[in-house]
Formats: sequence, structure tokens, C-alpha cells
Amino acid sequence: MRVGSHPRFALRTLLRKQQVETELDAEIRGYVDAITDEKIASGLPPSEARRQALAESGGLEPVKQAVRDQRASTTVESVLQDVRYGLRQMRHNPAFACTAVITLALGIGATSAIFSAVYALLIRPLPYTDSDRLMEISAAMPKKNQYGGTLISPDFVALRSSLKSFESIAGFTQLGDTNLTGSGDPIRVKVAGITANFLPVLRVDPAKGRDFLSSEDRPGGPAVVLLSHRLWESKFHGDASIIGRSITLGGKAWTVAGVLPAHFIFPDFAIEPDLCIPADLSPDTSIGPQIVFMMRAIGRLRENVSLEQAQTELNLFTEIRFKSYPAFYRAYVEGSQNLAEPLHRFLTGDDRRPLLILLACVGAVLLIACVNVANLQLARSVAREHEMALRGALGAGRIRLIRQSLVESLTLATLGAVLGMGIAAATTWLIRRGGMPGEFSSGSNIAGMLQVPFGKMSAAVEVNGWVLAFTAGLALLTTVLFGLAPAIGASRTNLQTALQGAARRISSGRQQRRFRRVLLMAEIGLAVLLLTGAGLLIRSFINVLGNDSGFDPRQCLTAQMLRNYTEAREKTRGFVKQLLPRLQALPGVQAAAIASDLPLEDIGPNTAIVPGNGPLPPIEQRTTSCAIIVSPDYFRAAGTRLLRGRLLNDEDKADSAPVAVVNQAFARQFFNGDAIGRQFRTNFGEMKPDAFTRRTVVGVVQDVRYNGLEGTLEPALYLPFDQVPEIEMNVLLRTAVEPGTLASALRKAVIDVDPDLPLFDVETMNERISQSVAQRRLMMLLIASFAVLAMILAGVGVYGVFAYWVNQRRPEMGIRLALGSSRRELLRLIMAQAMRLILIGGIAGIAGAWFLDRLLANMLVGVKLHDPVSLSLAWALMTLVALPGSILPAAVAARTDVISVLHSE
Amino acid sequence: MERNQANLVQGTLDLLILKAIGDGEFHGLGIARRVEQITRGTFKVRPGSLFPALHRMEEAGWLTSFWGDSENNRRAKYYRRTKAGERQLGVKAEQWTTISRAIASALKAN
Repeated sequence: MRVGSHPRFALRTLLRKQQVETELDAEIRGYVDAITDEKIASGLPPSEARRQALAESGGLEPVKQAVRDQRASTTVESVLQDVRYGLRQMRHNPAFACTAVITLALGIGATSAIFSAVYALLIRPLPYTDSDRLMEISAAMPKKNQYGGTLISPDFVALRSSLKSFESIAGFTQLGDTNLTGSGDPIRVKVAGITANFLPVLRVDPAKGRDFLSSEDRPGGPAVVLLSHRLWESKFHGDASIIGRSITLGGKAWTVAGVLPAHFIFPDFAIEPDLCIPADLSPDTSIGPQIVFMMRAIGRLRENVSLEQAQTELNLFTEIRFKSYPAFYRAYVEGSQNLAEPLHRFLTGDDRRPLLILLACVGAVLLIACVNVANLQLARSVAREHEMALRGALGAGRIRLIRQSLVESLTLATLGAVLGMGIAAATTWLIRRGGMPGEFSSGSNIAGMLQVPFGKMSAAVEVNGWVLAFTAGLALLTTVLFGLAPAIGASRTNLQTALQGAARRISSGRQQRRFRRVLLMAEIGLAVLLLTGAGLLIRSFINVLGNDSGFDPRQCLTAQMLRNYTEAREKTRGFVKQLLPRLQALPGVQAAAIASDLPLEDIGPNTAIVPGNGPLPPIEQRTTSCAIIVSPDYFRAAGTRLLRGRLLNDEDKADSAPVAVVNQAFARQFFNGDAIGRQFRTNFGEMKPDAFTRRTVVGVVQDVRYNGLEGTLEPALYLPFDQVPEIEMNVLLRTAVEPGTLASALRKAVIDVDPDLPLFDVETMNERISQSVAQRRLMMLLIASFAVLAMILAGVGVYGVFAYWVNQRRPEMGIRLALGSSRRELLRLIMAQAMRLILIGGIAGIAGAWFLDRLLANMLVGVKLHDPVSLSLAWALMTLVALPGSILPAAVAARTDVISVLHSE
Repeated sequence: MERNQANLVQGTLDLLILKAIGDGEFHGLGIARRVEQITRGTFKVRPGSLFPALHRMEEAGWLTSFWGDSENNRRAKYYRRTKAGERQLGVKAEQWTTISRAIASALKAN
């Protein structure tokens, strides 16, 4: 609004537009009439008088427009006018409007959805007070093993008392699962051991009751426990009187000290314990045969200390500490170092790359969408050149024309953004729903949630203010990206040439044409790039699924159980002896077995292996392997084939000769492949490291994948349950019927034998496979759908540009035909144009893919970087989609009717 | 007259219109004629400048308007100066005098 103008007038002009306009018209008309009257009075004929009067005053309309232009309300009103005009243009050309809005909505929606995930997982600070001061202190081992990142407890104890850079260093350790009994149905719960300063370091207070006292956190300390809010609500119905009472965990009584807050998130994205107990670490920092815990350490950095200073101190500590290690351990940790890094970074490190790649891909889709709309706008701006010129001739200023184009773009972008917001909201809802904890039915309700592709933080993926701001920014950016070039191009129109009929039908200027082609090639290039990425991921996914798993996932039902740690071995044996016949007898069951670990589960070496008869080597020189405890029918139930020798059978009793079945990798590593009848020693299940049992290999089975389908094949041995009973047992049922239908029968059979034993994670083997590849599948699906979207958009772009181009050149076509050119030649002319664009765009895309595919390097399985198949398929596919986009208009051009075209000129 | 038009800076046009109206009531054409008259034919104000200026000054509160009958019995919009317009004339006139003196002395300087 102009300074000094009266708001009353602005309002009046806006609200009573009709009257203001009538008055203005009357006033100016009156002026001209008065002059006309004078001229008639001076003797001119009325018509001549009128003409002269109009000429002198410069025409009625321009004067009126000049008055309107300087009104206070003009800016507001003319923008509204532009918006209305833009909307009217869209109604006139719904095909263009729909294409543009949907294109933008898809681009903006997809980008906003991925940004929501990026925001929730990577940008948003962790939900702890001053979380930027929280650092993870981890051990970086040169030999990556299953304990990667954790510290052994003696190191942790030494470190927490000596580092001065931190106000306080807290630790936690995963203590695995135990059974919660005596409070309704038995359930399995996940337990974490935390140091007494764990909650204070995170600046969290229990919601009910009290935190652990430091006097409770010591070896042999009292049995106290903090419940998660979730467990408290579901199992104890939010009853506050539970505080101070005792509950039964693993057959032992524990006193409830307090309840954690409802929204407390455990500072590890892979675990969410149901309850916490004191870590009870020994103050002993020496490395010896005592029990050690694998500790995760979180320190709160002092206010005036930088991360670099803390790392320097940590390095010094590590160096001194290293010297105090006994020789065998020093050899073991050779080359390792301790790292301090922001907790947020430590936790999100694994998700960072996939998410950023997704963001980049979706950004490329958005870019293509913008290019498409820009191309459409450009094409339209040329078609509207005449209109623009006319408006210019009628007195519209250049700025006004640019502004009008921009307002039109903004209107489109806003519509696109609003629609895109809806798409984003729906997508994030899907992600969230995937991440919602299920019912607290099987004990570890959170387990399902942790298996969703981006873990428990997925629950926080939502459309919030930041995402809205991001989307608004995108809308503005796209407006500028696709609106500015056409706007400026249009405003530059030379009025005279544009208005001359002859010029009207000649195609757009060379500069504009080249710009459009570059845009189109960029589009094709980006699409090829994305298609290549999708191709690589799809091939990897197929390879992963095609990996010989070593078991038969069809018709196999699995579940987990855990006996109490304190249970006598005889009792465990008795339980299995009762259970297996019952399971075997279930209708539809072909084989029933138990195993300490299921295929695909994360396992690591748990026994030392000493082949031959020589003296025991020192600890650091012993080779390790993984032992899995199974009942005789295990191999039949899992579908793992015997290659040589025999399987375990009912004769392998507790008191009979110790035997083992090994996998191919084991036979290769220890016996050069010839393992049957050979002996080795193992200390599995022994309390002392030097207590070994000699076992004879009776059979060799095929290698089975553990640690997911992508896990490497490590040596493994299978020991008979009767000889080494284990408290951790998984049920496997090979079924003749649909395995899922046996779930309730399985539950009932277990309850019949032991009503206190929770059965959890009842799932078919195929479901386990599907979970183990969930993130890979999500990445593949997302990138593949972005790539397909990009490809389709690029195809539409090609069509749009060529359709327009052909339309513009109809006169030329007509002339060519009239001069004797054949239709086939015309077709060839256009196709040559199109092929050149597709070729150059494709080459650009392949070149881009060549450089960028390394970003996917660590997600590739069985495919090499620069995979020629993926590259050429991507290009071929893009060509297949783009060619029809140009052929269609070309065919139309070839049908050009010479006479009608030449007539219309 | 066309050439002068270009030189007629906005403030000057306002000044001339306020001066031309004086304490009387004029319609658009009347004001244009008055300006021509009091500038002895130097300035001819064309409607493309005149009407925007009139409307702007009315919005600024320097002029008020009403509809009345013209000498030829046509309806016409008449403008009258307000108190604020009178004050504005004073301010503008003073500014103009200062500027014209400064320019005159600048031109006389050697």
C-alpha cells in the first residue's frame, strides 16, 4: 500500500469495485465529451470532433488504467487479478494444469515425505536435555566382530574414573531376555543393566518411584528394577502401588524401584528394554578370567570442553590402558582405539547414508518435475506470445507481465504443494504405522518395531512445522525454477514481430529452443541415473534372495522360548523330552525340533575349537567357531541337507560318546574338507576357559546363513541338545499345512507342558526372511519407484516438448511437403531430433551414474559398480519410454495436410 | 507541450493542481485549463497525468470530490481543496521556491 494514502480509499476500491469503476468511467468520459462538445461548437462534424478528442486525451482505457495503477489497492488487487487470471487459464487448459499440478504434487509430496523421515531420524535432536553434549565412547576394533562399538566392562570402569573431559560417564549393557512370571500370563522381557548415573547423565527422572541409588549399583547389590512405562501400563495396568513391591524375574524376586517416563527412548535404536536393573559392575579394572560385560558408554561433555579435547584425552587414556593389558589380550585388541563422537551421530550413522541417498533421489524426481513444468510453461509461453504481445500493446508493463507469469507459476506450485502435502502426510502415516509397537502380547512388543526399516525412531516420522516450512520452501523454489525463465522469455517478446501475423506461426527463438532441449536432456539424464541405481539395487535384492540360505523357508513355523538361567540341566532336559513328542503329534507337523539359534539370527563365535591331540594353545591363538545346540530332528525341520556321514539321532544321549555335526565351512577350515570321524576339542558350555571336551564329527551338512541372508558363511557346529542342554531354545516345525495355522496349537502345547514359560516371536520362516531384508527392500522399492516416476515424467516431458515443437513447425512441414518432401522424410527428421536428445541425455545419465553409483557400493550384493547390465538396461528403458513420446507427435506431423496448413497462412 | 510534459515532475504537478484549484471547485477539464492559464500556456496537462494525480491527491486527503452538473448540463466530478491540501500547497511552494532559487543561482554562477 502506498505511503500517505488513505486506507478508507483502498477499502472502498476493493469492496465497492463496481461503483468506483462506474464513477471513473463517467469522469473520464465526461472529460472527453466536454472536449468533443467544444470541438463541435468550433464547427467540426461530430464524428471528427469525437475522434480528435479521443486522440488528444490518449484514449479512454489507458487513462483509466493509469488512474487504477496508482491506487493504493492496486497491488493487492492486481495480484488477485493475476491469480484469478491464472486459475482461469488453468480452466481453459485443464490438460496442462492437471499435468503440471500432479507432476509438482508428486515431486513435492515425495520429497516432503522423505524429508520428514530425514528430519525425524537425522536432524531432530535426541529427546534428552542438552543432547548435543552427549557423546558415545566406543571401541573401534580393526577386526569387526559382533561386539563392535562396545567396551569391555574393566575398560569402561577404568575410563569413567579417569576421563576429566566429561561431567559424568554412564554405561549400559544388554543383558538379554528373561521371563517375567507371577503377574498374569508369563511373558518374556528384555533387560538392560544400567549404571546408577545413567538416567542423570541423560537428564531423565523416573516418572514414578525413584532412580537407582549409587549404593545399589555394585556387585551383589540389592535386586531392584526400573520398569519401562510400556511394561508398567500393559502388565501392571499403570498401578502406582507396584512401586516397592516385588516381581518375579527369571524365577527370582526383584523390588520395583520406579517407572521410567512414558516418552523415554532408550539411547540405542536397536534395543528398547522392557526393564532396567543396576549394572552392578565390579570396580576391578584388570583383564582376567572374571565375567565381563560389553558396555556401551555415554558421556556428558563438560561445558567448556570440545570434542577434540575429549578425544585427545581419550587417546592418551587408551595408550596407557593398552600397556596394562596382559599379553594375550593385547594381541587380541591390537590396532584398536577408542572413539568419542556425538551420540546422535553414533546412533543414526547407519541410517544416514540410505536416507541421504533417498533424499537425493527424491530431489532428482522433484527436479525432473520442475523441468517438466518449466518446459510446459516455456512451450505455453511461446504459444501465448501473441497474447502477451497484445497485453503489452494495450499497456501492460514488462514487470507486470513477468509478475503475472510468476503469479501463475506460484498458483500452480501452491496447488501442487497442497496436494503434495497430502501425499506426504499419507506416506508418513504409513511409515509411522509400520513403526507402531504392536500389542503387548508376546513379551517383547517392541521387537516388531525395531525390525522396521528405520527402527523405533520411525514412530516419530511425521509432518510437522519443519516439514511444512520445507514444503513451502520447495513450492517457492520450484516457482522460481520453473517460472522465472518462461516469465523473462515471455516479457522479452518483441511486440512488433509478435503481433505481425507472419511471425506468429514461426517457432520459438533459437535461444529458447536450445534452453528447452538442455532441460529435456537433463531430465532424461536424471531418469537414467535413477534407473541405474534402481537396477543395481534390484539386482542386489534378487541376488540376496537367491543366496543359498542352507534351509528351506517354506512350510516352516518358528518360535522362541527361554528357560530360566537358574534352572537345573536335568529339568531343562525333562521339559524338552515332554514337549517334542507333543509337538510332533500335532496334526500337520512333519518334524518338530528345537535349536539354540535359528537360521538368519545374529550369532557370533561362542566356543574355542582345538583340532588334533596336541597341547592346548594359549588363549590368543585359539580359533573360534559358533556352536548351535539342536535336537535330533532339527535338520529335517529346518530343511538343511546332510552332505556326508549321518545326522544326530536319539542315540546321541547325555551319557553316550560326544559327537558333533559340522557345516562345510567348518570341515574346510579345520579338516581340509574331510571331517567325518575326525576329532576336535571344544570348551562350549564350560564355566572355565580351559575345560575342553573332545568330540567326534559324525556328519557334514550344508552351510546355513546366519546374520541375515547377506551374512558370510562361517564355520559352525551342531551339538546334540541332550549332551549340552541350553536354556535358549527356538522351536521349528516343518509342516504339511500352511504353517501359520499351527501357531495356536503350538502355544497350547507349550502351555500344557509349562504354564510359566512364555512363547514369543511365533513366525513363519518366510516372515523372518522378509524381516531380515526389510530395509533393503524398502530402499529398493523407494528408489525403484522414484526411478519409474522419473522415467514417466521424463517421457511426458519428451512428449510435451515434441508435441509443441511439431505444432509450431506445422507451416514448415506443410511447405516441405508442398516442395516434394515425403512424409517418411518428415518422420525421420523429427525422429532424428528426438534420438539425438535421448542419446545425449542418456550418455549424460550414464556418465552421472558412473560417478555416483559408488554411493550405493555398500548396498550391492553380487553386482559390481558400473554394472553394464544395469547401465544399459536403464538407458534402453528410458529410450523405450521416450521414443513413443516423440513418435506420436512425429506421426501427427507426418499426417500434416498441406492444403489446410498453407491455407491457414 | 509534449516535451514539457516529460519534465513535469510529480511534485510539480501536485503543486500546480493545488494552486490552480485555489479556493474554487473545478472538474478535470477545468483544472487542466486553469493550469494552462496560470502557467501562461507553458504546461498543458494531459488526462493521462491529470486524472491519476487527482485520484492520488484525493486518496491522500488533499482534495475532496463531489458530483455536480457542468456548464453544458453534463454530470461531472468536481474537486475542492481540503485544509490538508492547503497546508500541502504551502509546503510544496516553499520547497519549490528553494529549489528554483538554488537552480537559478547555480545557473548564474560562473
